[in-house]
Formats: sequence, C-alpha cells, structure tokens
Amino acid sequence: MSTPNTAENLLRDIDSVNPVMPYLRQERIPHIWCPSCGIGTTVNCFTRALTESGMDLDQIAVVSGIGCTGRVAGYMNLDSFHTTHGRAIPFATGLKLANPKLKVVVYSGDGDLTAIGGNHFMHAARRNMDLMIVCVNNFTYGMTGGQVAPTTPLGAKQTTMPFGNYEQPFNLPFLADACGAVYVARWTVFHVRQLAKAMQEGLKKKGFVFIEALSPCPTLYSRRNKRGDGIDELKNYKQNSIVKHGADTKEVGLTFDGKIVVGKFVDRERPTWLDAMNDHFTQTLGTKYTTYGG
Amino acid sequence: MFIYHGRAPGSRQNSECRGSISSSQTLPLVRTPGRRVARGALISTFLVLFLCQASFLVLNIPQVSHREGFMSDSNTDPRPGKGTVYVRTEICKGCSFCIDFCPTDCLSFSKEFNPKGYHFPILSAPDACTGCDLCGLYCPDFAIYGERWKDIDERKGKGPPVAPAQPVAPPAAKSAWGTPIPADPKGVLTGLHFIDGDHAACEGALAAGCRFVAGYPITPSTEIVERFASRIPTVGGVFIQMEDELASSIAVQGAAWGGKKTLSVTSGPGFSLMMEHIGLAVMTETPGVWVDVQRGGPSTGLPTLPAQSDMMQARWGSHGDYEIIALVPNSPQECFDLMIKAFNLSEIYRCPVMFMMDEVVGHMVERVDIPPADRLQVVPRKFTTKAKHEYRAFATTADDLVPEMTKAGEGYRIHVTGLTHDERGYPAMNTPTQDKLVRRLINKIKNNADKLVDIQEDYIDDAEIIVVSYGITSRIAKSAVDDARQRGLKVGHLRLRIVWPFPAARIRELCSKAKVFIMPELNMGQMVIELERAASDGVKVISIPHAGGSVHEPEAILKKIIEAAS
Repeated sequence: MSTPNTAENLLRDIDSVNPVMPYLRQERIPHIWCPSCGIGTTVNCFTRALTESGMDLDQIAVVSGIGCTGRVAGYMNLDSFHTTHGRAIPFATGLKLANPKLKVVVYSGDGDLTAIGGNHFMHAARRNMDLMIVCVNNFTYGMTGGQVAPTTPLGAKQTTMPFGNYEQPFNLPFLADACGAVYVARWTVFHVRQLAKAMQEGLKKKGFVFIEALSPCPTLYSRRNKRGDGIDELKNYKQNSIVKHGADTKEVGLTFDGKIVVGKFVDRERPTWLDAMNDHFTQTLGTKYTTYGG
Repeated sequence: MFIYHGRAPGSRQNSECRGSISSSQTLPLVRTPGRRVARGALISTFLVLFLCQASFLVLNIPQVSHREGFMSDSNTDPRPGKGTVYVRTEICKGCSFCIDFCPTDCLSFSKEFNPKGYHFPILSAPDACTGCDLCGLYCPDFAIYGERWKDIDERKGKGPPVAPAQPVAPPAAKSAWGTPIPADPKGVLTGLHFIDGDHAACEGALAAGCRFVAGYPITPSTEIVERFASRIPTVGGVFIQMEDELASSIAVQGAAWGGKKTLSVTSGPGFSLMMEHIGLAVMTETPGVWVDVQRGGPSTGLPTLPAQSDMMQARWGSHGDYEIIALVPNSPQECFDLMIKAFNLSEIYRCPVMFMMDEVVGHMVERVDIPPADRLQVVPRKFTTKAKHEYRAFATTADDLVPEMTKAGEGYRIHVTGLTHDERGYPAMNTPTQDKLVRRLINKIKNNADKLVDIQEDYIDDAEIIVVSYGITSRIAKSAVDDARQRGLKVGHLRLRIVWPFPAARIRELCSKAKVFIMPELNMGQMVIELERAASDGVKVISIPHAGGSVHEPEAILKKIIEAAS
C-alpha cells in the first residue's frame, strides 16, 4: 500500500518550501499574471483548502476555460484541463460523470463562466451537477485587454465601453441561487481566510457549489477606472465589504463604488444529477439496473 | 532591465526599519557561508530526493532568511519573534499585499531591486513576526511565506522525510496496444434486427464499448440519442442530453479523459456548432466518434431531407491545420459495422473520427445482423503503463507518433490544453514547438494513409469509366453501373467507406487504365475536388452534383456514363 498523496504527506519535513509549492507545477513559476493581480491569492486560498480538506490530491481535477483565470489549471500540480472558451463546465460534467470518484473543480473567470459559458453555468446549476465552481470575478476581460464583461459595473470604463458601461451587470450569486446551486458564497481576495474556508466547505459539499472571488485587475480595470492599483482595490474591499451570511442574493448586486456584501449566502441540500439518475433508474428499472459508479 | 513604474514601491519603503537589518543579512541562503551552506545542501538533498520522486522539478531557490542576528527579549530562545518569513526575491512583483496586510507590520520594502526591477519585502521587524503566514496567503506570486518557530521545530523533530509514494504497479495490460479484443457482451445486442441506420449506429457504438454519450436532439439524428437514452442504463454507461452541441461536443472529451469511450451525435447546424471542439479533440488527441447525420443546408436548410454537403466541413471545418478520419456508411448494417471500426480507429490514432451518415441512411429500415460479442473485435485504449515520473503525456517516438494516454485520477497529474504544448502538455507558444506538434498531428494520420484505405470495388478490372461514390449515393450509383454493364459498357464502381484520408494513391493507380471518373454526390461538388486532385492529367473527371433534398435518379448517373462512353 503506497502512501496517499495527501497534502500532509507532501508537506512533511520539506524545509524552506512554500506550502503552496507542492500544489503547483513549479517549473512553470513565475506565472503570467500581472503585478498585484489577485488570481494568485485565490490559488493560495485554494491550496490551503486542499490542505485542510485532507483529500487525496490524485482524486482532484481542475478544469479551466480561457482567460487569465483560465490559466490556473496549467499551474496546478493536479490533473488539470485547459479547455475552450466558456466550456469548462460541460467538460467538467463529462469528466465527473465518467469518473464520479473525482472531485472536479472548475476554476475560471467571470467572462468565461457567465458570458460565453453562461448557458452551461445555468444548466449545470439546474442539474445540480457535482462540481465546485470557483469564479474569479475581476469585472473585465483581462486576457484580451480590458473589454466590458457581464460583470462590469455600470459606469466603469472598458475598451469596448469607452464612455462608461451602460449595460446592467449580472449579480452572480443571485444567478447561481436562482439556477439551483446548493452552495453560494462570495468573498474577495482581501478575505483570504474566509475564502479558503469557503473553498474547503465547497470541496466537501456535494452538488453545484459556486464561490465568487472578487479580485483586482490592476492593469485593465482598476487603473483604467482611476481606482489605483491592486493594493488599493484590496483596501477598498476591506473598507467597503459587509459580511452578511445568509443574505438574500437578490440584494447582493455590485456597483462601481458601493458596498460589497460578502458571505455564505446559500447552503442547502438537493440530490445531485448522478444521485437522481441512480435513484430514478433503480426505482423504474429495478433489478435490470446496476447503480452507476463510473 | 525593466523597472516597475506602475506605482513606485520605493515610496512605500520603510526607511526606519524596526529591526535594523543590514544588507549582508538579506543575501540569499545559498551564498551565506558556514553551517548554513551545509544546511542548505542537506535541504537540497532532501528536496531532490523527495521532489524528484514526487514528480516535481526542483528549482535551486535562492532564499532570503532573516532568522539570524536578532535577539528575542522574552525568553532564552535566541531567535527573534515567534516565527519567520522566507522570500523568493526573484519572483516577487512588488504588489505590497504582504506588507500592507501583515497584522504585526513586520515587513517593509527592500531598497534593492530584484532582477525584474521590483522591490521585494524584507523582514524589517523580526521581533514582531509571529510566523502566521498571512503574507503567504496573500502573496499572489507565491514569493513569500511564513512559519512559526514551534512548527518548524515540531516538523524537524519528526525525523527525515517520509518516503514518497511509490509508483503504483501498473495494471496488467489486457492486450498489446493495437491488438483488438472481443467486445464486452454487455453492450452487444446479438441477433437479427429490423432497424434504421440511426438505431444501428447506436448499437454499433455500444458494441464498440462506448459508455458515455452526450447529445442534443436535432433532426435527423435524434433517434440515435433516443436509443442511447433507453439502452445505456442497462449497459452500465451514462447518457446526458446537454444544453447544446457546444456542450455535448466537449462533455464527451471530459468523459474521454475520465477513461470512457465516447460518442457525440448531431446534424446540420449542430455540426457547425461542434467545429471548435473537433479542433480541441485533434489538439489534445482525445479519442471519440462524432456522428453527423447529414441534412440539406446551408443553415437550417432541409431538416428532414438528405444531403452529403458536410463532407468538406468534416475535413476542414475547425480552424488550424490537421488531418481527420471520416467514415461513410451506406446502409443500417454498415452503420453498425463501420461504427465499431470508427471507434477502433479513434483509439489507434487518438483522434476524433467523423461518422458521416445522411438522412436516408439514418432513417432507412433494413435487416441488421449483430454477431455474438466474441466475433466482434474492439481496440482497447492505449493506456500508459509507465511509472509516474517517467510518463510524459504527449511524448512519442520516431516509430510511433501516437502518445500513450492516461486518465484523470490515476496520479499522473496530467495537464491537457488546447494551446500549443510540449511533450509534458505544458503550453509552449513558440515556432519550433508549434512546428513539431502540428507536423506530428498531421503525420500520425498521413503516414498511415495506406492503412486507412477502405474502398469497395466492382467491375474495376476492365473498367474504362469508373463511377466513384460514397454513402447513400453509392447505392444509386451501383444500380446505374449494373445497368450500364448490362448494356455492355466497360464501367466500374469504386465506393469509399473511408473518405478521409482520401485514397489518392488508389485513384492514381486506376488512372493507368481508366479514361473517365464520374462522381455523383449529394452536394454541389465537394469530394470531386479531391478526385480531380488525385486523377492524372488526361483522365477526365465528371461531377454529378445534387443540391440535396432527395437522392439522385439512377437514370441521371446512367446518362452520364453513356455520354462518357460515346
């Protein structure tokens, strides 16, 4: 019997190695993200959550779409898949159904998950597909140079909204809640411990988990909108965030410079797609059906 | 040297460092003389031993440590504070998250620049450091981390590193790669059936071992997904009706990397939506069969009527350069037989295989003979048996251009990307990597084109006129050729069962005696372009186009034969 590749075993007695490093493909570091971008911070939180969960890392897969956050999969030293733009969730759906023993984490950005991939997001939540979605929301399309996103607050300037955004943005927790997600939380990269805890809870939760992590895009959102640098955004998160667990998700929409409601908004139980399928076929097909387990 | 000007970090530099640190103390660990070097060497040895076996590449990480030279007021422990921080100065990008959010304000910016031109954090108040590692949690560049002395001591008290996980003994290979094995009887509906091509295609896939299907209903392929929905629960697989073809054509790829044989099904507009993911499957070498039951187009066109107008789309539809394999059945029986072949080819070459049916073949009801499972040969996936540290997911040899595959959950920690990638699967966006990868993706099929010829020839030996056809059109063409033979004309028939790669070598051989090729097809002239390219100068190629909606009249083909003969 071999030693399981749990985080604890990997970390034991390695002196002078950053605890995040065993989770990363170290030969690929330094990463491509800009100075004071918050995506790396969310990755730290994710690795802490993996450590705390004590899960066998060989049984965790990360799936990303395209964009800055889409590069997370490529840096994680786990089974990782960098798919097409917007399609991380359906890829993850196939992966999860092929091998239900895997914990499949979709790690992608707001544009990838809720614009081009919005349809898949809705349907995976509706089905309660057993996936953990980490949506790093930086309010913009970073990789392509700062175009308007479905999350860009009203009034914010982007290259394709040069005179300020006049489109109503999504309220992502409300969207996830309305579509049937069983766990919905929002934190910012200022709230590192809370974000790590939410991810830890998400890893343990069965069903469609949605965690929104607000993160600065200093290069293309903050500076363009005269909001300073990444550190200024984090200070803004610190000053303007209101922790409100169980808040009505209808009320947690974001504005350009208003208050930011953070917390765990939804935590409920509902059968996953696979459990529903197995239960239903067992009932309707009887002995002809063998419970599917991969 | 690039200097970071976005916000002068130096302006936030703490010029009155509480810990009065000297520059000599900020030197990287590896340069510090005496016992620290020995200690560093020991650490490096552990790291190499441990990390190499755990498949990590070890970097010789220069460290800045601030452990020495500070005295704590509170106890006899000569070390300052309750913990310390480590900084990888060369990867710091100077964001100041760690400095601004340190709960005890023990960090400040260095006066020095790192090689990238950023100021990096230094432990300016070591007495205040608690080793809480909040800096590590904030650092978006993985450049700093903290640890409590007691945790360090406790960790060291545990003794030498535990042995890393030994590679799990590879499972015994069921057979040598490429060697077919009998089909799993669970999926084989042995017996005589009177079913249409859509249902037969479904049975062929189940017999071939397909256990994951994602589809979206679209005429005239809908019967395939309907049959899967009712058949697959008792076979031990999963069917899911996705929200659209974009989703279904990538869900199958996720399932393939989960270890399943997979099928995606569509028609007309749905095939257009799947194009991007054909490219992804080509690039990531993800096996699977893609069924297109062709209907008239462009656009919504003729949903319930036949065409063969997606033949070039199947070959060229996704962006970028690639080769593809495409099969074309002409009867329900072939929908079963060729489907098994399509799955086998997708495993052998690790590529998406197109299965180009049409509305008539899909809805035509005929006798289908499904043999016992032990008479069906299926090719198992080429799963690697290499040890984890030896496996490179996209490495090949000169003799074999198809890499060994694995699946998620086996501990190989693969990375799969649609970006241009190296043998490890890591993005490497440069000309040499692109050249090597694209050439291999093309050559793994192109170099085997002679093995991928699947044609049926009738009356070829003395033929001066050869009718070339495929799919439903071949059945009308055959009847026209039979008729012409009865009239004493030297006409032959060549039917393509694999259309891509196109059997150009065989066409060139036939040019030595044939004077005319005639190609009827249910499009305005697609495969005939390939026929013209393959035919020698002096050999005439006649196209019989048809815009779709019905099949050719046999008389139309016979008329062209008679014209060519006269």
